[in-house]
Amino acid sequence: MFTFALRRFLIAIPTLLIISLAIFLLLEAAPGDPLGDVPLTVPPDVKEKMRAALGLDSPWFVRYFLWLKQFFWVEPLNLVDYIFGTDYAQGMQRVISFQSRQPVMQIIAQRVPQTLTVVGMSYLIGVSIALPIGIYSAYRQYSWFDQIGTLVSMIGFSVPTFFSGVVLIIVFGVKLQWFPSIYDTMHQVTDWESFLKQVRQMAMPVMVLSLYNAAQISRFMRSSMLDNLNQDYVRTARAKGLTETVVLLVHVLRNSLIPVVTVIALGVPTIFGGAIITEQVFKVNGLGQQLITSIHSNDMPMVMTLTFIFAILIVTFNLIADLLYGILDPRIRYD
Amino acid sequence: MLDHKPTQKTLVEVDGLKLYFPITAGLFRSKVGDVKAVDGVSFSIFEGETLGLVGESGCGKSTCGRALLRLYDVTAGSIRIGGVDIAKLSADALRRMRPTMQMVFQDPQASLNPRMTVAGIIGEPLDEHTTLNRAEKLARIYELMDAVGLSRDFANRYPHAFSGGQRQRIGIARALALNPKFIVCDEPIAALDVSIQAQVVNLLEELQDRLGLTYLFISHDLSMVRHIADRVAVMYLGQIVELASREALYGSPKHPYTQALLSAVPEPNPEHEANRRRIILTGDVPSPANPPEGCNFCTRCPKVMDICRKVEPVSREIEPGRFVACHLYETTTTAGATAAPEASGANSLSTNNTTTQQGV
Amino acid sequence: MKLKTALLGAAATLVFAPAAYAERGSDGEVKIIYWQAVSTLNPYLSSGTKDVETASLVIEPLAGFDENGVVIPRLVTEIPTVENGGVSADLTSITWRIKPGLVWSDGTPVTAHDAVFTANYCMDPAGGCAQLARYEGIKSVEALDDLTVKITYNEPRPNPYTAFVGATSPLLQAAQFANCVGAAASSCTEQNFAPVGTGPFVVTEFRTNDVVQMEANPNYRDAAKPAFAKVTVKGGGEAAAAARAVMETGEFDYAWNTQISPEVQGQMATGGKGEFIYAFGTLVERIEMNMTDPSPSLPEGERATAAHPHPILSDIRVRTALSKAIDRDVLVEVGYGNAGRATCNLVPAPAAFASDNTDCLVQDVEGAKALLTEAGWVPGPDGVRVKDGMRLKLLYQTSVNAVRQDFQSIIKQWWNDIGVEVELKAIDAGVYFGGDAGSPDTFQKFYADVEMYANNFDGTDPEPYLAHYTCEKAPSPATQWQGENVNRYCDPAYDALVVELGRTGEMDKRAELARRMNDMLTKDTMTIVPLVDRGRLSARSLSLGGVVLNTWDSELWNVSDWYRVK
Repeated sequence: MFTFALRRFLIAIPTLLIISLAIFLLLEAAPGDPLGDVPLTVPPDVKEKMRAALGLDSPWFVRYFLWLKQFFWVEPLNLVDYIFGTDYAQGMQRVISFQSRQPVMQIIAQRVPQTLTVVGMSYLIGVSIALPIGIYSAYRQYSWFDQIGTLVSMIGFSVPTFFSGVVLIIVFGVKLQWFPSIYDTMHQVTDWESFLKQVRQMAMPVMVLSLYNAAQISRFMRSSMLDNLNQDYVRTARAKGLTETVVLLVHVLRNSLIPVVTVIALGVPTIFGGAIITEQVFKVNGLGQQLITSIHSNDMPMVMTLTFIFAILIVTFNLIADLLYGILDPRIRYD
Repeated sequence: MLDHKPTQKTLVEVDGLKLYFPITAGLFRSKVGDVKAVDGVSFSIFEGETLGLVGESGCGKSTCGRALLRLYDVTAGSIRIGGVDIAKLSADALRRMRPTMQMVFQDPQASLNPRMTVAGIIGEPLDEHTTLNRAEKLARIYELMDAVGLSRDFANRYPHAFSGGQRQRIGIARALALNPKFIVCDEPIAALDVSIQAQVVNLLEELQDRLGLTYLFISHDLSMVRHIADRVAVMYLGQIVELASREALYGSPKHPYTQALLSAVPEPNPEHEANRRRIILTGDVPSPANPPEGCNFCTRCPKVMDICRKVEPVSREIEPGRFVACHLYETTTTAGATAAPEASGANSLSTNNTTTQQGV
Repeated sequence: MKLKTALLGAAATLVFAPAAYAERGSDGEVKIIYWQAVSTLNPYLSSGTKDVETASLVIEPLAGFDENGVVIPRLVTEIPTVENGGVSADLTSITWRIKPGLVWSDGTPVTAHDAVFTANYCMDPAGGCAQLARYEGIKSVEALDDLTVKITYNEPRPNPYTAFVGATSPLLQAAQFANCVGAAASSCTEQNFAPVGTGPFVVTEFRTNDVVQMEANPNYRDAAKPAFAKVTVKGGGEAAAAARAVMETGEFDYAWNTQISPEVQGQMATGGKGEFIYAFGTLVERIEMNMTDPSPSLPEGERATAAHPHPILSDIRVRTALSKAIDRDVLVEVGYGNAGRATCNLVPAPAAFASDNTDCLVQDVEGAKALLTEAGWVPGPDGVRVKDGMRLKLLYQTSVNAVRQDFQSIIKQWWNDIGVEVELKAIDAGVYFGGDAGSPDTFQKFYADVEMYANNFDGTDPEPYLAHYTCEKAPSPATQWQGENVNRYCDPAYDALVVELGRTGEMDKRAELARRMNDMLTKDTMTIVPLVDRGRLSARSLSLGGVVLNTWDSELWNVSDWYRVK
C-alpha cells in the first residue's frame, strides 16, 4: 500500500506540471484581455503602460516559469514565514492578482472559510440525508418512498441551481422574508442569537446545494445497495437467522458503501472549488465566486492558481479514493 | 436404506407449496400476472435422509429450496419443519427457527460476504443465536473448520483468498455452525471443478453420517444425485412430476419427462452407452408466467394424449413410495379425471389429493 | 418620475437634511450593494467604476462635480478660475489652495506635498496608473507652500479641471504610500485596501471582491457628518439581485447600477421598499457608419482604410435614410425604460454643450425610402434595393448583450422595410472592446458596415471626446489599429475646429464650438447616428435620505449627507 501510494504520488508530479502548462496555455489562448474591462475613456497608451505594469509585456514562457517559481517556491516560503515568523521570502514577488493586486494566496485563505462553511456544510448535509434515503429506497424498491425519492433526485439533478436558488429567494426571501437573500460574509458567531442568524443565512444556499448533492449521492447509494441486495451473501446472511437490521446495515450497507465512499471522496475537491453559481446567487463570496469574477476580468494569476489548486485537490482525492478502496475492500490489494 | 425409511420420522413436510412472483407493468406498476415459479408442490423428507431434487434450469427447484427455508415469502401452502409450519411464522419466530434449518448455496464466491473474514462468516450465527463467549466461539469456529477440512490458519483470511472448493467448505461450515437438523444444498457443487465436486459431496455425506443431518439436495447433475440421494424428486415447470426412491427412479423411470431426462445421462459403461437411446425433447420449456393448459409437459411430451392438453394430471402413488403425475398411469381414477375438465383450473383440488396420498 | 422632479426632490431633501442629522454616527449602519464586487480601493490601480466609487467614501479629490456637472470644492477653499486668478491668463497653470486645518483620518494634516506625491505616484512610468489620462500633459506639480499646489501644463489647458478633480483622481497620503511608488505599487496590498483619506469614512475591513466595511471618520471636516456610523459595501451577484435586495427584501439601502429590463423594473417598483433613481450623463448608445470599405475582397492592409471609401455609405443620403428609418422612442422603451431617452446628439450633456439637434427623433420611413430612391437605389425583385448591380446590403455588428441584440433585430426590421438587407453579427464584448490588433472583430478594426456600442466622456468637458474624430486618429494598419476615430471620418474643417477648441478658454465659446462639432458628426454628416442617451439607474431604499444621483462624479459623492429617514 505504501509503495503504491508513493508511486502514485511520484506519477502525480509530472502530471500536475503538465496540467499547469495546459491551464496556462489555455488561458493564454483564450480570447480576452485583463484590461478588457478598462473603459473606453482610458487612452490606449495608458492601457499599454498598465499592461506592462502587470508584466504582460514579457513572452508567455517567461511568465509561465515565473508563475512556477512563485507557486512552488515563493508561496511555500511565505507559508513557512507565516508559520514560523521567519523571513525567507523577504522581497520575493508572490503570485499577485491582477484585479486587486493582493497576493492570490491571501485571497484564497480569506475565502476558504466561507466556502467550507456553506459548500462543505451542504455536502455534509447532502451526504447524510442521501445515505439513509438511498438505503431505504433500495430496500423498498419501487415503493412510494422510492418513487418520491426518485422524483426528488431527478429534480435535484435536473433543475439548475441558478433556477432553484432564485425560486428559493423569491419564496423565502421576498415573499415570506424568512431568510436573507444576501449572505453576510463578515458575520461572526459569538452567541446563540448570532448563531441563529448564521443558520438563517446559510439555510437557502445549503438547501439548494444539498438537494443537488443528495440527489447525486442517494442515487449512487441506492444502486449500490440494489447491486448488493441481490447478492447471494445477503441470502446467506438471512439464512443465518440474522435480524433484518443486521443484514441490511452490516452486510449490505458495508459492502454497498465501498463505491459510494469513493464517490464521496472524489466529490470533496468540488467543495473547495466552491459552487460557482450558488455562491453567485446568494452572494456567498467564496472560492467559486472568486473564480468566476476572476475569469470575467481575465485575472490570469488568480484563475491559474485557483484552477491549479483544484487540479492538485482532484489528483490528491483520486489517490485517496483509490487508497480508501484498498482499505475498505479486502479483495483489492496494491502490491 | 429404502426399506427402513417408512419407520422413520418425517422431518420436513411440504404441502401445496406455491410461490408466485408478481409481474408488474405500466406507470403505476400494477400487477398483470404471476410467474409461477413453484406451483403446488407437496412432498416430505424423512429424518436423516437425502432427498434429491432434479430438473432442468429454470424449473423452479432452487426457488423451491429457498422457499422451503422461507428465504422467500410463500404464496400458499405449508412447510412443516419438525412440526412447525414456518410458512406462516412471524419474522422474529422464524429467525429463532433458523438454527434448525440451513442452506448451502450454489455460488460459494457470491454467497460469502467479501468484507468478512472466515472466522467472521462462520462465527456470525453464533453471535446471533448463542451466548458463547469469545473463547468458546473461537473454539467452535475452529471445530467447524476442522470438520470441513479447513486449516485453522485461514480463520482471519477473506473469502477471495480461497479456491472455489475451499469457499464451499466455508459455506458448509457456516451452515453447520448452529447444529441444524435440515440443510438445503442448493446446487452446492455446480460451480466447482469436477475433481473438487467429489470432495465436497463426500464431505457432505460424511457430515450427514456423523451429525445425522437431513438434506434436500438440489442439482441438475443426475449422476451426482444418484450418488448422494436416497429418494429423488423430479421437477418440471414448478411442479413435481415424479418422486421415487433412487433405485426405482433410475431403474425404471415412469414419467415421460423423467425418462427423457435420464436418457441424457451418459453411461460410464461403453457397452451400455452404445445401447443408450436418447429421447430428444423438442421445443422450449413454456414460460412459468403462462403455463400450458392441462399437463405442464404436454407441449413437449413424446407420449402426449388428448387428455393431457385439457386435464392437469394429479400426482398419485402408483407403487408404494412412488408418485407420478401423469395421465399414462391413471387407471383407477379415470372417472375423477374425466370429470375434471370443468374444474381443470382447480389446482387446489388436485394438490389436496396429492397431499392425502402422500401422507401414506 | 422625470428628471426635473428628481432634482426637485433632491433639492428638497438637501433643504430639510440638516434637521435630520444632528450628530455624527447617530443613524447606525448604511448598507450598499455593488453587484460588481469591489476589488481594490486604490483608483489609480483600477479603472473599474465600482472601485473608484467605493474608494470615494474614503479618499477625496481636491474638487468634485455636483449633480449638474458643476465643479465644486471639496478639500480646497474655492475653485480656481481665470477670474479669481487661480488659473493663469495663458491657461497653462492652475493653483489650488487647500483648506487650512484639514486633517487625514489618522489626524495628520493634509498638505500640498500629498498632492505632489499623488501626481508623481500616478505619473510614474512603472506604476501602470489607470488614471494617467487625468494627469496628462502636466509639466510639473509643485507645492508652493504647505497648502498651495500649482500644476503647470505643457500647453494652454482651457479645461484645467482634470488632475485632482473628480473621484478618479483623489489625493493619496504621501506618508502612507511613500514606499508604493512605481513597480512597488502592486505589492502595497495593505495600503491599496485601506488608504488613509479625508472622506467621511475609514476602512475597517476589506475583503477583495466581497465586502468592505467602514466606520465614520472621527476626523472628518464636518463635525456633524456623516450621519451613519458604519457603511457596508457588499459585492457579488448580478444587477437584478442587487435591485431585489433594495426594492423587494429591503436588506440593503442602496444598489448601484441596477440596469434591468423596464419590465422587471416595473415589477420591483411595486415592492414598496424602495425606488429606482436615475440621472443622465453623457453615455450614448449609437450606430457608427464605416466611411471606408470593409470588404474582405480587399487585401489586408487596405481593407477598411481611407484608401477605399465605402461603396454604399459614402453617400450621405444613404446614411440619412438609415437614421430616418429608426424610431428611437421604441428602442428606449424596449431597452431602458425610464433610464433612457432618445437623442440625436453625440454630446447630450452638460446642458450648455448639448446641441438643440432633434431632427432625428421622428421616424420617417417614407422620407427614408425617397432618399434612397433619390440616391439611385431602386427596389429590386426581392424588395432589396439595388444600384448598378450592387445590392444594398449591410453588415451590422455589436457586442454580445441582450439589449443590443434586441436593438439589432428591431433596427434590422426597420431597415428591411426601406429595402436594406441587413446581416447581423454579435461579438463577445471582451474581444470586441479588447483592442487586440490581431483580431478581425474589434470595434476599432470595424470590419463591418455599421456598428453599435456606447461611449461617454469623463467629466464634464467634451473636448478630448470630440477630438477623437480627427483624421489622424483613424485606426489603420499604420497605428496597429489603435485610435478612437473608428468611422475614419476625415474633414479638415473639423480638425481645424478641434485645434480651435483647444485654444479657447471662454466657456460660452467652448460650448458653441462643441455644439457645432457635435452637429458636424451627427446631423450634418450622419457619420454617427446616436440612438439612446443612457442614464444611470440605481435603487435606494425609501428609508435612505439625502441621495442625489450624480453622473459626473462618484454616485456616492454626497454620502456624508445621507441619513436615515425616521
